[in-house]
Amino acid sequence: MANAFVIKKSHFRIFPRIASIYSPEDWVMLLAFLAGLLATVWAFVNRYITAYGDAESHLNIAKRVVDSLTPGFAQLGGIWLPLPHILLMPFVYFDIFWRSGLAGSIVSGIAFVVSALYIYKTTQLLTKNTGASFLASLIFILNPNVLYLQSTPMTELPLIVFFVLSTYYFILFMEEGELYPLIMSALFGLFATLSRYDGWALVLMEAGILFLYYLWRRKFQKFEGRLILFATLAFFGIFLWLLWSFLILGDPLYFTHSQFSANSQQMGWLAKGQLPAYHDIAVSLEYYFVASMSSAGVLVFIASILGMLVFLFDRTAKNRFYILLLLLVPFFFNVITLFLGQSIMFMPGLTPTTFEWTLFNVRYGVLMAPFAAIFVGYLAAKNGYFGKILLAIIVLAQTLLFLSGFSPVLAFEDGTRGLSSATAKLPDAQYWLARNYDDGLILMDDYKRVLSIIRTPIPMENIIYIGNKPYWEESLVAPEKYANWIIIQRDDDLWRRIYEDPGLNGRLYKYFEKAYTSDDILIFKRIGDN
Amino acid sequence: MKKDSKIITAIIFLVLVLYTLTLRGAFGIPGIGDFKENLEKPSGAFELSPERGRYVHVVALAEKGDFALTRDWADVAYPDVGVAGGKFYSFFAPGVTYFAVPFYLIGAKFNLAQVAVFFMEIIIGAISAAFIYKIARNIFALSAPASFFSVLVFAFASSAWNYSITLYQHLFTVLFMTTAFYAAWKFRNESGPYSRLYASWVWAAYALSIFVDYPNAAMMLPIMLYFAYSTFSVKKLEEGVAISIKWAAIATVIVFVLAMSFQFWHNAHYYGSWLQLAGGIAGYHKEIPINMESPEQTQDIGAFFSERNIPKGFYVLLFSDERGLFFFYPIFILSLFGTRLFWKKSRDIGIRAEYILALSLIFVNLALYSSWGDPWGGWAYGPRYLIPSMAFLSIFAGAFISGGVFTRFKKNLALLLFLYSSAIALLGALTSNAIPTKSEAILLPAHKHNFLLNLDFLNKNQSSSFIYNTYFDGKFSLEAYYLAIYIVIALAAVLTLLVLRDKNHG
Repeated sequence: MANAFVIKKSHFRIFPRIASIYSPEDWVMLLAFLAGLLATVWAFVNRYITAYGDAESHLNIAKRVVDSLTPGFAQLGGIWLPLPHILLMPFVYFDIFWRSGLAGSIVSGIAFVVSALYIYKTTQLLTKNTGASFLASLIFILNPNVLYLQSTPMTELPLIVFFVLSTYYFILFMEEGELYPLIMSALFGLFATLSRYDGWALVLMEAGILFLYYLWRRKFQKFEGRLILFATLAFFGIFLWLLWSFLILGDPLYFTHSQFSANSQQMGWLAKGQLPAYHDIAVSLEYYFVASMSSAGVLVFIASILGMLVFLFDRTAKNRFYILLLLLVPFFFNVITLFLGQSIMFMPGLTPTTFEWTLFNVRYGVLMAPFAAIFVGYLAAKNGYFGKILLAIIVLAQTLLFLSGFSPVLAFEDGTRGLSSATAKLPDAQYWLARNYDDGLILMDDYKRVLSIIRTPIPMENIIYIGNKPYWEESLVAPEKYANWIIIQRDDDLWRRIYEDPGLNGRLYKYFEKAYTSDDILIFKRIGDN
Repeated sequence: MKKDSKIITAIIFLVLVLYTLTLRGAFGIPGIGDFKENLEKPSGAFELSPERGRYVHVVALAEKGDFALTRDWADVAYPDVGVAGGKFYSFFAPGVTYFAVPFYLIGAKFNLAQVAVFFMEIIIGAISAAFIYKIARNIFALSAPASFFSVLVFAFASSAWNYSITLYQHLFTVLFMTTAFYAAWKFRNESGPYSRLYASWVWAAYALSIFVDYPNAAMMLPIMLYFAYSTFSVKKLEEGVAISIKWAAIATVIVFVLAMSFQFWHNAHYYGSWLQLAGGIAGYHKEIPINMESPEQTQDIGAFFSERNIPKGFYVLLFSDERGLFFFYPIFILSLFGTRLFWKKSRDIGIRAEYILALSLIFVNLALYSSWGDPWGGWAYGPRYLIPSMAFLSIFAGAFISGGVFTRFKKNLALLLFLYSSAIALLGALTSNAIPTKSEAILLPAHKHNFLLNLDFLNKNQSSSFIYNTYFDGKFSLEAYYLAIYIVIALAAVLTLLVLRDKNHG
């Protein structure tokens, strides 16, 4: 019954010809660019670029540096690390890029393309297999969570690119023992430390690995020199940030315990009994494991764990323990911060439905996307014909699961309907102000995200918020001094310090009329002849 | 081969006898008035809605030749009942019902309609057990005692027992899965005229499995992929690649088309659309009057499955004290080690693809039902959704005791875990599957959500067994009856493990 068809190589000459037009690296970049562009166009058309509340905040921080009532680097603040905002600055200068969020798409998009390229190169370094490395980069490129985040101004992609770059050069250093890759690793580590706090864990881990690496080889003198070389550069970003916090805010650890810090916010959740992973290592592990798995795609993630095990037990793989530790840095960091209550995550299926919200910050799982891609690539490299077919089926099945909606695109869902979302919570006052704002300065507590500035016609230089030091402080004494409009939200700074203060309340009503009222937001407009 | 035939006969005999001793039911042809609400009568033949929902359709088909239910019968199957075209149907896939009709008709002649229908499941269980033996022996090349032990684990130390003596879909799924697995393997290794037969059965088993339970469309996929893999073989040549096709696999697709056509006809005729599945028809609520004029709101079955349910479902199905596989049947812990031990052997004996297929079937089953909104399976005994996986995990339990080092220790451990697991399985089989979930149990007087509730039934002499209730109740206690059956199983296990040689048998 069995008949054989012979498919001649000559029939497929076209494919090697097409493939040889560009190098594999160029193909990866081209595919990443096209996929990223398509995702960004889709997000732009559907207005998803700034769906996250944090997305607008990042844009606004950068915008205030170049264009606000009191422009300057002090606007970078002391909570979020500055590099992503510095990278946004040239683009947010143009209002169209600021308001649409495209400034962020450009920065994250470039990070995405470079990340894909270096995931390819890292896998190539581990496997010496072009096909497997290409597969690894494809898995990263086609991850819908990554694709969505690369279209936004969120800081995950800038971190990922510096993480991947630093890791790549660190592995290269361990292979070759040359100084150049170590310096490059330290340099990109420095950039990572200035992008997100996860970067601090990365350089710490790299320094620790450096120690173990030389301890194992009993070359302590070399270790000393290499460590100084590496640490001077890699930790310089951390030093700069502590210095900045001290000079600008008077406290080098301002970001850990100020009222705006993540920790302070988490304590609010703890008081409500809604910080599930706090001081519970099992729950912390469970939350981040599930978030990582969902972000990579459940089938892809399981395949990557298999790949990791194959790698771990592969005695021919050099430095495998160090490399594994390095690629697992996002996992360690996030589990520890969840445990310590420095970060918070709500995950559907894990978070009790009795909680106020069940979807929040799940995008942190995306930081494990490079891990998943690299180890699936590794698994492909180590498998024969049958295994490769099986992996292809798994990747295809995962794509179908995402497309069918069985596997939710959590980073997107959180941005559009989770607690992280701005668009899910836009108040009616937002639309009212967009229609009625004529001119003049607006006094508002922007930290509480009363309204979305980019969704109104208000220029940034017309906003008075806590970062506009003299204006803000003087307005808290004499609200009428600068502002034409005052927007107050229940329990925000202005509510407590002006609206609830008997003296200032009288003054408020003397100079302003209440133009808009809702349960939570009051908008005051200056009375014409005042 | 002769020895294997004898063992298979022994398996069928053992399963038929022991399962029959625990078969649920009573004499008679139950009418509407004989059904009671599940809370009023645990440990009865119709203690839960899944068996009622299937049985009422058997009655409808056998008595009137029409699958649709009258309102009175619909109320019997409530709450798992929906409405389509103004008529009532249960939410369950109709396959089991169709298979059961001949049994009902034969049983009705002897005033044993319900018992005969349930006995059908025992036959299915026995055939499945025989095929588990054949897979273990012929494909996985385990020794005869190790293969027999695999059968013992599946038949008497897993939830398979609890659901082979009532009217559920799970054993049918196991039957189609094991037979299709075996047929696909035979198809791969044979090219004679029988290959058409094997291919036909693979297609038929796939279609029929969907007919008995819709999720089988996904659960059987690994077998269909393996079947496709066996159909095409690729050979590298200097000038390119040679692809061989076994045309039997393609020619016999007609079997699948025919079997599916019947399903589509059923869907169109009863539910109004060839694509409308039973589980997706509009719900029926007793308290709300039905307006036959208004359009019925169908449901999206796919929406019941979601990745976000997986963490919880995974825990409930594997580890929880409500339904957890390893909590109810710790013998399957050995299966995990068995898969690891068998990894190298599978390559050595050239069955890596079959090994991966078995693992894939387990994985897909676990993943699918972990993502199901109700991993508990309602009121149930053990992880009933994992019964198809248990068939293949049993084989790996057999692989665990086969060869390698520490054989004696492994055998003793296996015996210990088997004795525990079979005790749990028998406890449920003799009493009830109506075990509430933890969240529901809190509101009930007993406050028990696992086999501890069945212990109460045992102590109160409350059995579901047709044989015990009909012939032995009052003569000796249920505990004695339990012990008698248990001793037979334990002896079978002890003898099997004793026969097992200490070194490299398999």
